[in-house]
Amino acid sequence: MATRRCLHALRHHAAAAVAVRHSVGRSFSALASHSGGSLSRSVLELETTPFRIGHLGASSSWRCYCSGKTPEDEGSEDEYEESEEEEGEIDEVSDGEIAAGPGLQKRDYTPEEKEAVANEIGYKVIGPLERSDRVFKPYEPVFAVVQVGSHQFKVSNRDCIFTERLKFCEVNDKIILNKVLLLGSPTQTIVGRPNVPDAAVHAVVEEHALDAKVIIFKKKRRKNYRRTKGHRQELTKLRITDIQGIEKPEIPEPKKPVKIKVKRDTDKQEKVAVPA
Amino acid sequence: MALRGVWQLQKLVVSYCNWGGSSRGIRAFMETKLPAFQEKNPQLEIVPELIRGQHPHLKAFCKNKNQRVVCVKNMTPDDILLHSTRLRNALGRKVVKLKTRHVTKHPTVQGTWSTDLKF
Repeated sequence: MATRRCLHALRHHAAAAVAVRHSVGRSFSALASHSGGSLSRSVLELETTPFRIGHLGASSSWRCYCSGKTPEDEGSEDEYEESEEEEGEIDEVSDGEIAAGPGLQKRDYTPEEKEAVANEIGYKVIGPLERSDRVFKPYEPVFAVVQVGSHQFKVSNRDCIFTERLKFCEVNDKIILNKVLLLGSPTQTIVGRPNVPDAAVHAVVEEHALDAKVIIFKKKRRKNYRRTKGHRQELTKLRITDIQGIEKPEIPEPKKPVKIKVKRDTDKQEKVAVPA
Repeated sequence: MALRGVWQLQKLVVSYCNWGGSSRGIRAFMETKLPAFQEKNPQLEIVPELIRGQHPHLKAFCKNKNQRVVCVKNMTPDDILLHSTRLRNALGRKVVKLKTRHVTKHPTVQGTWSTDLKF
Protein backbone atom coordinates (compact mmCIF):
# COMPACT_ATOMS: atom_id res chain seq x y z
CA MET A 1 0.00 0.00 0.00
CA ALA A 2 2.74 2.40 0.95
CA THR A 3 4.70 1.71 -2.25
CA ARG A 4 1.57 2.24 -4.30
CA ARG A 5 1.07 5.57 -2.54
CA CYS A 6 4.71 6.48 -3.17
CA LEU A 7 4.55 5.63 -6.85
CA HIS A 8 1.30 7.57 -7.21
CA ALA A 9 2.88 10.57 -5.49
CA LEU A 10 5.98 10.27 -7.71
CA ARG A 11 3.89 10.07 -10.86
CA HIS A 12 1.87 13.07 -9.70
CA HIS A 13 5.01 15.09 -8.98
CA ALA A 14 6.65 14.05 -12.25
CA ALA A 15 3.54 15.13 -14.16
CA ALA A 16 3.55 18.43 -12.27
CA ALA A 17 7.26 18.93 -12.97
CA VAL A 18 6.78 18.19 -16.68
CA ALA A 19 3.87 20.65 -16.80
CA VAL A 20 5.92 23.29 -14.98
CA ARG A 21 8.89 22.62 -17.23
CA HIS A 22 6.78 23.00 -20.33
CA SER A 23 5.24 26.24 -19.08
CA VAL A 24 8.67 27.56 -17.97
CA GLY A 25 10.21 26.39 -21.23
CA ARG A 26 7.52 28.11 -23.20
CA SER A 27 7.93 31.31 -21.19
CA PHE A 28 11.76 31.12 -21.49
CA SER A 29 11.56 30.43 -25.21
CA ALA A 30 9.26 33.42 -25.49
CA LEU A 31 11.79 35.53 -23.57
CA ALA A 32 14.65 34.11 -25.63
CA SER A 33 12.96 34.98 -28.87
CA HIS A 34 12.53 38.48 -27.51
CA SER A 35 15.96 39.03 -25.90
CA GLY A 36 18.11 36.97 -28.27
CA GLY A 37 20.41 33.99 -27.79
CA SER A 38 21.69 34.84 -24.28
CA LEU A 39 18.97 32.89 -22.55
CA SER A 40 19.01 29.91 -24.93
CA ARG A 41 21.81 28.20 -22.97
CA SER A 42 19.88 28.47 -19.72
CA VAL A 43 16.80 27.01 -21.45
CA LEU A 44 18.84 24.02 -22.63
CA GLU A 45 20.13 23.46 -19.09
CA LEU A 46 16.63 23.61 -17.74
CA GLU A 47 15.38 21.15 -20.33
CA THR A 48 18.14 18.62 -19.70
CA THR A 49 17.66 18.72 -15.91
CA PRO A 50 13.91 18.50 -15.47
CA PHE A 51 13.94 17.46 -11.80
CA ARG A 52 15.50 20.68 -10.61
CA ILE A 53 12.62 22.73 -11.87
CA GLY A 54 10.50 21.42 -9.06
CA HIS A 55 11.80 23.91 -6.56
CA LEU A 56 11.19 26.81 -8.93
CA GLY A 57 7.50 26.10 -8.51
CA ALA A 58 5.72 25.43 -5.23
CA SER A 59 8.27 24.22 -2.70
CA SER A 60 5.86 21.92 -0.89
CA SER A 61 4.93 19.88 -3.96
CA TRP A 62 8.22 17.83 -3.95
CA ARG A 63 7.72 16.12 -0.58
CA CYS A 64 7.26 12.36 -0.75
CA TYR A 65 5.32 10.82 2.14
CA CYS A 66 6.50 7.31 1.47
CA SER A 67 8.01 5.63 4.53
CA GLY A 68 10.54 3.88 2.34
CA LYS A 69 9.18 0.30 2.63
CA THR A 70 10.03 -2.23 -0.09
CA PRO A 71 7.61 -4.97 -1.23
CA GLU A 72 9.63 -7.52 0.79
CA ASP A 73 9.11 -5.54 3.99
CA GLU A 74 5.42 -5.35 3.24
CA GLY A 75 5.21 -9.13 2.99
CA SER A 76 6.97 -9.70 6.34
CA GLU A 77 4.78 -7.09 8.03
CA ASP A 78 1.69 -9.03 7.02
CA GLU A 79 3.20 -12.23 8.36
CA TYR A 80 3.96 -10.57 11.72
CA GLU A 81 0.37 -9.32 12.02
CA GLU A 82 -0.93 -12.82 11.28
CA SER A 83 1.32 -14.45 13.85
CA GLU A 84 -0.29 -12.47 16.67
CA GLU A 85 -3.65 -14.17 16.13
CA GLU A 86 -2.28 -17.67 15.66
CA GLU A 87 -3.78 -20.99 16.64
CA GLY A 88 -0.59 -23.05 16.54
CA GLU A 89 1.65 -24.34 19.37
CA ILE A 90 4.10 -21.88 20.84
CA ASP A 91 6.63 -22.37 23.63
CA GLU A 92 6.97 -19.21 25.69
CA VAL A 93 10.25 -17.50 26.40
CA SER A 94 11.34 -17.25 30.04
CA ASP A 95 10.62 -14.16 32.12
CA GLY A 96 12.61 -11.02 32.46
CA GLU A 97 14.56 -8.80 30.06
CA ILE A 98 15.03 -10.13 26.59
CA ALA A 99 18.80 -10.01 26.06
CA ALA A 100 19.59 -7.81 23.07
CA GLY A 101 21.93 -9.05 20.35
CA PRO A 102 25.68 -8.58 20.81
CA GLY A 103 25.66 -5.55 18.51
CA LEU A 104 23.43 -3.53 20.84
CA GLN A 105 25.37 -4.28 24.02
CA LYS A 106 28.60 -2.57 22.99
CA ARG A 107 27.51 0.83 24.27
CA ASP A 108 30.16 2.59 26.35
CA TYR A 109 28.86 3.98 29.61
CA THR A 110 30.57 6.70 31.61
CA PRO A 111 31.05 5.86 35.31
CA GLU A 112 28.22 8.23 36.26
CA GLU A 113 25.88 6.63 33.75
CA LYS A 114 26.83 3.20 35.07
CA GLU A 115 25.99 4.23 38.61
CA ALA A 116 22.73 5.80 37.53
CA VAL A 117 21.63 2.76 35.54
CA ALA A 118 22.70 0.41 38.32
CA ASN A 119 20.81 2.47 40.87
CA GLU A 120 17.74 2.36 38.67
CA ILE A 121 17.83 -1.44 38.61
CA GLY A 122 18.42 -1.51 42.34
CA TYR A 123 22.02 -2.30 43.13
CA LYS A 124 25.36 -0.62 43.68
CA VAL A 125 28.77 -2.11 43.10
CA ILE A 126 31.23 -1.57 45.91
CA GLY A 127 34.31 -3.34 44.73
CA PRO A 128 36.08 -6.67 44.44
CA LEU A 129 36.09 -9.10 47.31
CA GLU A 130 39.36 -9.19 49.20
CA ARG A 131 40.75 -12.31 50.77
CA SER A 132 40.82 -10.61 54.15
CA ASP A 133 37.08 -9.78 54.17
CA ARG A 134 35.13 -12.05 56.47
CA VAL A 135 31.91 -11.64 54.57
CA PHE A 136 30.39 -15.10 54.90
CA LYS A 137 28.80 -15.06 58.34
CA PRO A 138 26.78 -17.77 60.07
CA TYR A 139 23.03 -17.78 59.60
CA GLU A 140 21.02 -14.99 61.25
CA PRO A 141 17.22 -15.23 61.57
CA VAL A 142 16.55 -11.97 59.70
CA PHE A 143 14.91 -11.62 56.29
CA ALA A 144 14.35 -8.82 53.79
CA VAL A 145 12.20 -8.40 50.69
CA VAL A 146 14.46 -6.88 48.06
CA GLN A 147 13.77 -5.75 44.49
CA VAL A 148 16.25 -6.22 41.62
CA GLY A 149 15.04 -4.99 38.27
CA SER A 150 11.41 -6.02 38.07
CA HIS A 151 11.66 -9.05 40.37
CA GLN A 152 11.31 -9.21 44.14
CA PHE A 153 12.88 -11.81 46.41
CA LYS A 154 12.53 -12.68 50.10
CA VAL A 155 16.14 -13.12 51.14
CA SER A 156 17.97 -14.08 54.25
CA ASN A 157 21.62 -14.46 55.12
CA ARG A 158 23.57 -17.14 53.20
CA ASP A 159 21.06 -17.83 50.44
CA CYS A 160 21.36 -17.47 46.66
CA ILE A 161 19.36 -15.51 44.12
CA PHE A 162 19.34 -15.81 40.33
CA THR A 163 18.67 -12.45 38.71
CA GLU A 164 18.95 -11.11 35.18
CA ARG A 165 22.50 -10.37 34.10
CA LEU A 166 23.78 -7.36 36.07
CA LYS A 167 25.83 -5.37 33.63
CA PHE A 168 28.45 -3.50 35.58
CA CYS A 169 29.78 -6.07 38.01
CA GLU A 170 32.31 -8.87 37.67
CA VAL A 171 32.44 -12.19 39.48
CA ASN A 172 33.63 -11.87 43.09
CA ASP A 173 32.32 -8.31 43.45
CA LYS A 174 30.57 -6.95 46.49
CA ILE A 175 27.15 -5.46 45.83
CA ILE A 176 24.65 -3.47 47.88
CA LEU A 177 21.00 -3.88 47.00
CA ASN A 178 19.26 -0.57 47.64
CA LYS A 179 15.58 -1.27 47.06
CA VAL A 180 14.48 -2.94 50.27
CA LEU A 181 10.72 -3.18 50.65
CA LEU A 182 10.38 -5.05 53.93
CA LEU A 183 12.63 -6.13 56.79
CA GLY A 184 11.75 -8.80 59.29
CA SER A 185 13.09 -10.60 62.34
CA PRO A 186 11.40 -13.01 64.82
CA THR A 187 10.34 -10.05 67.00
CA GLN A 188 10.07 -7.06 64.66
CA THR A 189 8.83 -6.20 61.14
CA ILE A 190 9.62 -2.95 59.27
CA VAL A 191 7.40 -2.20 56.29
CA GLY A 192 8.64 0.29 53.72
CA ARG A 193 6.52 2.87 51.87
CA PRO A 194 7.53 1.83 49.26
CA ASN A 195 11.20 1.40 50.30
CA VAL A 196 12.80 1.30 53.70
CA PRO A 197 15.31 4.18 53.85
CA ASP A 198 18.79 3.41 55.22
CA ALA A 199 18.37 -0.29 54.73
CA ALA A 200 20.99 -2.23 52.84
CA VAL A 201 21.39 -5.82 51.77
CA HIS A 202 24.94 -6.89 51.04
CA ALA A 203 25.61 -9.56 48.45
CA VAL A 204 28.49 -11.09 46.52
CA VAL A 205 28.36 -11.97 42.84
CA GLU A 206 29.01 -15.70 42.51
CA GLU A 207 28.64 -16.33 38.80
CA HIS A 208 27.51 -14.97 35.46
CA ALA A 209 26.15 -17.89 33.48
CA LEU A 210 23.70 -18.87 30.78
CA ASP A 211 20.50 -20.69 31.58
CA ALA A 212 19.56 -23.95 29.89
CA LYS A 213 18.40 -23.66 26.29
CA VAL A 214 14.70 -23.05 25.71
CA ILE A 215 13.43 -23.95 22.26
CA ILE A 216 10.80 -21.61 20.84
CA PHE A 217 8.77 -23.55 18.32
CA LYS A 218 6.11 -21.85 16.24
CA LYS A 219 3.78 -23.71 13.94
CA LYS A 220 0.64 -22.97 12.00
CA ARG A 221 -1.06 -26.12 10.91
CA ARG A 222 -1.95 -26.67 7.28
CA LYS A 223 -0.18 -23.39 6.39
CA ASN A 224 3.32 -24.71 5.78
CA TYR A 225 4.77 -22.49 8.53
CA ARG A 226 7.23 -23.82 11.09
CA ARG A 227 9.97 -21.93 12.96
CA THR A 228 12.46 -23.15 15.57
CA LYS A 229 14.57 -20.77 17.67
CA GLY A 230 16.88 -21.48 20.63
CA HIS A 231 17.25 -19.06 23.52
CA ARG A 232 19.60 -18.98 26.51
CA GLN A 233 18.96 -16.33 29.12
CA GLU A 234 21.96 -14.67 30.80
CA LEU A 235 21.73 -14.88 34.59
CA THR A 236 23.72 -13.66 37.59
CA LYS A 237 23.88 -15.63 40.82
CA LEU A 238 24.13 -13.48 43.95
CA ARG A 239 24.88 -14.81 47.42
CA ILE A 240 23.38 -12.70 50.21
CA THR A 241 25.87 -12.02 52.99
CA ASP A 242 24.38 -9.37 55.27
CA ILE A 243 21.13 -7.53 55.99
CA GLN A 244 21.35 -4.14 57.67
CA GLY A 245 18.64 -1.85 58.94
CA ILE A 246 17.00 -4.01 61.58
CA GLU A 247 17.99 -5.17 65.06
CA LYS A 248 19.22 -8.68 64.93
CA PRO A 249 18.37 -11.04 67.80
CA GLU A 250 21.43 -12.13 69.79
CA ILE A 251 22.09 -15.82 69.72
CA PRO A 252 23.37 -16.97 73.12
CA GLU A 253 26.52 -19.01 72.75
CA PRO A 254 26.12 -22.65 73.84
CA LYS A 255 27.77 -23.13 77.29
CA LYS A 256 30.54 -25.67 77.45
CA PRO A 257 30.02 -28.41 80.10
CA VAL A 258 32.32 -27.64 83.11
CA LYS A 259 34.52 -30.58 84.15
CA ILE A 260 34.70 -31.13 87.93
CA LYS A 261 37.88 -32.80 89.21
CA VAL A 262 37.32 -35.56 91.80
CA LYS A 263 40.27 -36.01 94.20
CA ARG A 264 41.01 -39.54 95.25
CA ASP A 265 42.23 -40.23 98.85
CA THR A 266 43.29 -43.84 98.24
CA ASP A 267 47.04 -42.96 97.99
CA LYS A 268 47.12 -41.20 101.38
CA GLN A 269 45.46 -44.10 103.13
CA GLU A 270 48.03 -46.48 101.68
CA LYS A 271 50.90 -44.28 102.84
CA VAL A 272 49.52 -44.16 106.36
CA ALA A 273 49.13 -47.94 106.39
CA VAL A 274 52.73 -48.75 105.35
CA PRO A 275 54.79 -47.27 108.28
CA ALA A 276 52.45 -48.83 110.74
CA MET B 1 32.93 -18.23 38.86
CA ALA B 2 33.60 -18.13 42.51
CA LEU B 3 31.95 -20.13 45.23
CA ARG B 4 32.40 -18.20 48.49
CA GLY B 5 35.38 -16.39 47.04
CA VAL B 6 37.05 -19.49 45.59
CA TRP B 7 37.47 -19.56 41.82
CA GLN B 8 36.00 -22.73 40.33
CA LEU B 9 37.80 -22.89 37.00
CA GLN B 10 41.16 -24.60 37.51
CA LYS B 11 42.55 -25.20 34.06
CA LEU B 12 41.82 -23.94 30.57
CA VAL B 13 43.31 -25.93 27.70
CA VAL B 14 43.55 -23.94 24.47
CA SER B 15 43.82 -26.46 21.62
CA TYR B 16 44.68 -25.16 18.18
CA CYS B 17 46.20 -26.17 14.86
CA ASN B 18 49.06 -24.24 13.31
CA TRP B 19 48.07 -25.10 9.71
CA GLY B 20 44.26 -25.08 9.44
CA GLY B 21 42.17 -22.05 8.48
CA SER B 22 39.59 -22.69 11.18
CA SER B 23 42.30 -21.97 13.78
CA ARG B 24 43.10 -18.56 12.37
CA GLY B 25 41.00 -16.78 14.94
CA ILE B 26 42.41 -18.69 17.86
CA ARG B 27 45.97 -18.14 16.67
CA ALA B 28 45.29 -14.40 16.57
CA PHE B 29 43.64 -14.67 19.99
CA MET B 30 46.71 -16.37 21.39
CA GLU B 31 48.95 -13.60 20.09
CA THR B 32 46.84 -10.61 21.08
CA LYS B 33 44.35 -11.31 23.86
CA LEU B 34 45.52 -14.39 25.71
CA PRO B 35 48.39 -12.70 27.64
CA ALA B 36 46.02 -10.03 28.97
CA PHE B 37 43.48 -12.72 29.92
CA GLN B 38 46.18 -14.66 31.71
CA GLU B 39 47.28 -11.61 33.68
CA LYS B 40 43.76 -10.82 34.75
CA ASN B 41 43.29 -14.34 36.08
CA PRO B 42 46.48 -15.43 37.84
CA GLN B 43 44.64 -18.26 39.61
CA LEU B 44 43.86 -19.90 36.28
CA GLU B 45 46.22 -22.36 34.61
CA ILE B 46 46.14 -21.79 30.84
CA VAL B 47 47.76 -24.54 28.75
CA PRO B 48 48.17 -24.12 24.99
CA GLU B 49 48.02 -27.45 23.14
CA LEU B 50 48.84 -28.17 19.52
CA ILE B 51 46.52 -30.57 17.70
CA ARG B 52 47.36 -30.72 14.01
CA GLY B 53 44.62 -31.31 11.50
CA GLN B 54 41.74 -30.78 13.92
CA HIS B 55 39.42 -27.89 14.66
CA PRO B 56 40.34 -25.69 17.62
CA HIS B 57 38.54 -25.85 20.93
CA LEU B 58 38.68 -24.64 24.53
CA LYS B 59 38.53 -27.22 27.34
CA ALA B 60 37.63 -26.06 30.83
CA PHE B 61 38.41 -28.18 33.92
CA CYS B 62 36.54 -27.21 37.09
CA LYS B 63 37.13 -27.97 40.74
CA ASN B 64 34.09 -30.24 40.89
CA LYS B 65 35.73 -32.45 38.21
CA ASN B 66 33.39 -31.19 35.47
CA GLN B 67 34.70 -30.55 31.98
CA ARG B 68 33.25 -28.27 29.36
CA VAL B 69 34.39 -28.20 25.75
CA VAL B 70 33.66 -25.25 23.47
CA CYS B 71 34.51 -25.51 19.77
CA VAL B 72 35.88 -22.21 18.52
CA LYS B 73 36.38 -23.02 14.84
CA ASN B 74 36.13 -20.05 12.46
CA MET B 75 35.57 -17.57 15.30
CA THR B 76 37.04 -14.11 15.63
CA PRO B 77 39.42 -13.38 18.57
CA ASP B 78 36.69 -11.26 20.21
CA ASP B 79 34.24 -14.18 20.18
CA ILE B 80 36.89 -16.51 21.60
CA LEU B 81 37.58 -14.03 24.39
CA LEU B 82 33.85 -13.90 25.13
CA HIS B 83 33.66 -17.70 25.36
CA SER B 84 36.71 -17.96 27.60
CA THR B 85 35.33 -15.20 29.86
CA ARG B 86 32.03 -17.09 30.06
CA LEU B 87 33.83 -20.28 31.04
CA ARG B 88 35.72 -18.39 33.71
CA ASN B 89 32.54 -16.72 35.01
CA ALA B 90 30.42 -19.83 35.32
CA LEU B 91 30.43 -22.43 38.08
CA GLY B 92 31.14 -25.95 36.94
CA ARG B 93 27.59 -27.14 37.56
CA LYS B 94 25.55 -29.00 34.98
CA VAL B 95 23.36 -26.72 32.86
CA VAL B 96 19.84 -27.64 33.91
CA LYS B 97 16.66 -25.62 33.81
CA LEU B 98 16.30 -23.75 37.11
CA LYS B 99 13.60 -25.01 39.48
CA THR B 100 13.54 -21.81 41.52
CA ARG B 101 15.36 -18.53 41.30
CA HIS B 102 15.84 -18.44 45.07
CA VAL B 103 17.88 -21.16 46.75
CA THR B 104 17.77 -21.18 50.54
CA LYS B 105 18.23 -23.53 53.47
CA HIS B 106 16.11 -21.49 55.90
CA PRO B 107 12.83 -20.75 54.16
CA THR B 108 11.18 -19.11 57.14
CA VAL B 109 12.18 -16.67 59.89
CA GLN B 110 8.94 -15.81 61.64
CA GLY B 111 7.34 -19.21 61.19
CA THR B 112 5.11 -20.70 58.50
CA TRP B 113 1.61 -19.35 58.25
CA SER B 114 -1.37 -21.61 58.79
CA THR B 115 -5.06 -20.95 59.19
CA ASP B 116 -4.93 -21.60 62.98
CA LEU B 117 -2.18 -19.00 63.58
CA LYS B 118 -3.21 -16.25 66.00
CA PHE B 119 -1.23 -12.99 66.20
